[in-house]
Amino acid sequence: MSKSIIIKVQGTTVLQGLKRTWLANFAKSAVMQLPACGAASLLVAASLLAAPQSAFAVPSFARQTGLSCEACHTVFPELTHFGRMFKANGYLFTSLPQVQGETQSKEQRLSLNQIPPLSLMVELSNTSIARAIPDSGGTGVAQNGTVAFPQQISLFYAGKIAPQLGVFGQLTYSNASGSLQVDNTDFRFADVLVLPDAKSLIYGLSLNNNPTLQDLWNSTPGFTYPYQTSNASVGPLARTAIDGTFAQSVAGLSAYAIWNESLYGEVGVYRSAKQGFSNPVIGAAGPLDGTATNVVDGVAPYWRFAYEYNWDRHSLEAGVYGATFKLFPGGSTPTTPAPLHGPTNRFQDIAEDVQYQFLGDEHIFTAAATRIHESQRLDASFASGGSANPRDDLTTFRLAATYYYHRQFGGTASYFSTTGSADPGLYPPGSTLGVVTSANGRPDTKGWIAELDYVPWLNVKLQVQYTGYSKFNGGGNNYDGFGRKASDNNTVYVLAWLAY
Amino acid sequence: MNRCISWVISVLVISPALALGADHDTVAQSSAKRLAVGTCAGCHGSSGVSTMPKFPVLAAQQPSYLVGQLKAFKSRTRGDPDALAFMWGIAASLDDAQITELAQYYSSQRAPSASADQDRAAVARGREIYEHGIESQNVPNCSACHGSNGEGLAAVPRIAGQHSQYFLSQMTSFQLNLRDAVGMREIASNLKPSNLSDLAAYVQSR
Repeated sequence: MSKSIIIKVQGTTVLQGLKRTWLANFAKSAVMQLPACGAASLLVAASLLAAPQSAFAVPSFARQTGLSCEACHTVFPELTHFGRMFKANGYLFTSLPQVQGETQSKEQRLSLNQIPPLSLMVELSNTSIARAIPDSGGTGVAQNGTVAFPQQISLFYAGKIAPQLGVFGQLTYSNASGSLQVDNTDFRFADVLVLPDAKSLIYGLSLNNNPTLQDLWNSTPGFTYPYQTSNASVGPLARTAIDGTFAQSVAGLSAYAIWNESLYGEVGVYRSAKQGFSNPVIGAAGPLDGTATNVVDGVAPYWRFAYEYNWDRHSLEAGVYGATFKLFPGGSTPTTPAPLHGPTNRFQDIAEDVQYQFLGDEHIFTAAATRIHESQRLDASFASGGSANPRDDLTTFRLAATYYYHRQFGGTASYFSTTGSADPGLYPPGSTLGVVTSANGRPDTKGWIAELDYVPWLNVKLQVQYTGYSKFNGGGNNYDGFGRKASDNNTVYVLAWLAY
Repeated sequence: MNRCISWVISVLVISPALALGADHDTVAQSSAKRLAVGTCAGCHGSSGVSTMPKFPVLAAQQPSYLVGQLKAFKSRTRGDPDALAFMWGIAASLDDAQITELAQYYSSQRAPSASADQDRAAVARGREIYEHGIESQNVPNCSACHGSNGEGLAAVPRIAGQHSQYFLSQMTSFQLNLRDAVGMREIASNLKPSNLSDLAAYVQSR
């Protein structure tokens, strides 16, 4: 996974310990487009582009169901119990007229919304970092205060597409990529059994491209706080595999069931599904070979179990989830072949999560937390010198508490922490500019987020978010070996978020 | 490995249904019943006993009342805030047969057991109002229409066992003329806030 990827540029290993899967593709394109850039500039640029794509609740569903946002959300994108059940039911409920098709035996063969439930999401933002980062040219500093107009525009088709089939589909243009790309996508087959005691058993299949995207609660990485962050800030090196690392670079099929809207179980598998890969031999989109990076060996199993208890105005969920990814580092070059067989790196993630919601008419409060522990067995990277240790570990903890008054004025306080084994191979010191390097080879990053929100209308959110770091890539002062402090990466992020 | 995963998926999805007695009849249930348990249950509970007090208890409700309300939602003539946010959309696609089936489904469910959590003094005061009204405020006794035990009759709803939060929000809707019900705007307007709290406690205690 990301931390074990070894990207080789022009035959030289320049980066180990990447944050995100698709960084490998970026690095390849960077080599093509910016051949004169040094390794450090690549590191900085890659980090700036490494912010996660986001996908959220969308007016498509409101258009299809005729329900107001508040039916499914406390404040978008956080789901209420009803919203969770709508998702579990495959996004199928519709109040729109249907184009119908039936057999003589009344078997439904087609049920299609006459009006497609389309919607747009636009994000406009400004990001300021406490201390400007070095100019990649090697002199001075970069301009501080990044205006993103837009940061992201997404087109959604979200809703029913067949009698028992629904989809949450998102295409996103972002200023980071400068292009339109497939974003989070979740196809669902779902049905419900009414059991003799009037309890329900909702069951289904999810075909998606981001582990935990399909989950029902906002305590797992797919849809968790912070729901939107800057893509023009400095991001830490370390991230667990299940924590968004494989977003849009895998495809997974899982089966799930929820009994009595409370007891949830899901198992599935993920396999690499690269975007933008071209096989060097035949020039086609596949098959993957050693030039691809971060390739899943076979399939990666995914599992999730949770229990939700609702009483009065309260909802409490507790659960566990996890996945195991065995990866070929790949990244072959003509001088350093790295075929997709032999040793792999194994990342085994086991996580716990809990979520509490209070849903009053005036006051809404949510607390959500997760702890992800990752055991890393780095057979491939250690053998090639890509990691200093054969085994490492990484633990991420996040806690967020959100309050809203009348769904209009609100705020969130959040704490986050990632700690783990020191490994200079994975978290390297770098050579020239620092910023996204680690002087001591540790992954530790800790900090907090304070956010204020104003929601003038249910589909418009104005947000000011402050992120403060007490530790970054292993240190507080001079964490990168170039004199930068963790707090130099503190970020003020102003966002206008519109969904319509 | 893959065989193992397939086995686990099968066990996860199929076994609960078998173990809990589901059969082809339940799979082939009416669309209304599937809607009730698969969709409405998210707010109203699978058997019409909602756990969230924002949403009404529907179990054992008068079927005529349910039919009337669902048609009011569908025609958008009931305009309280939660009707707009939730029920206008939910009811929009229902046809008359489904409305009737839903009404029959909920009316046939067992009413929730009486709640003992209410303030006894408030319950006693509420009972007094319910059974005798408040002549000085021009408030008639509720039992005249809603029945001596709050069981309702035909288009007059059952209010016994209803969540106090929902009860109070609906009385506010009557006061603001957001709901159309004969006489209820005047009655709700004549009740003082303390009267409404007492009545809500009594209603929920039934």
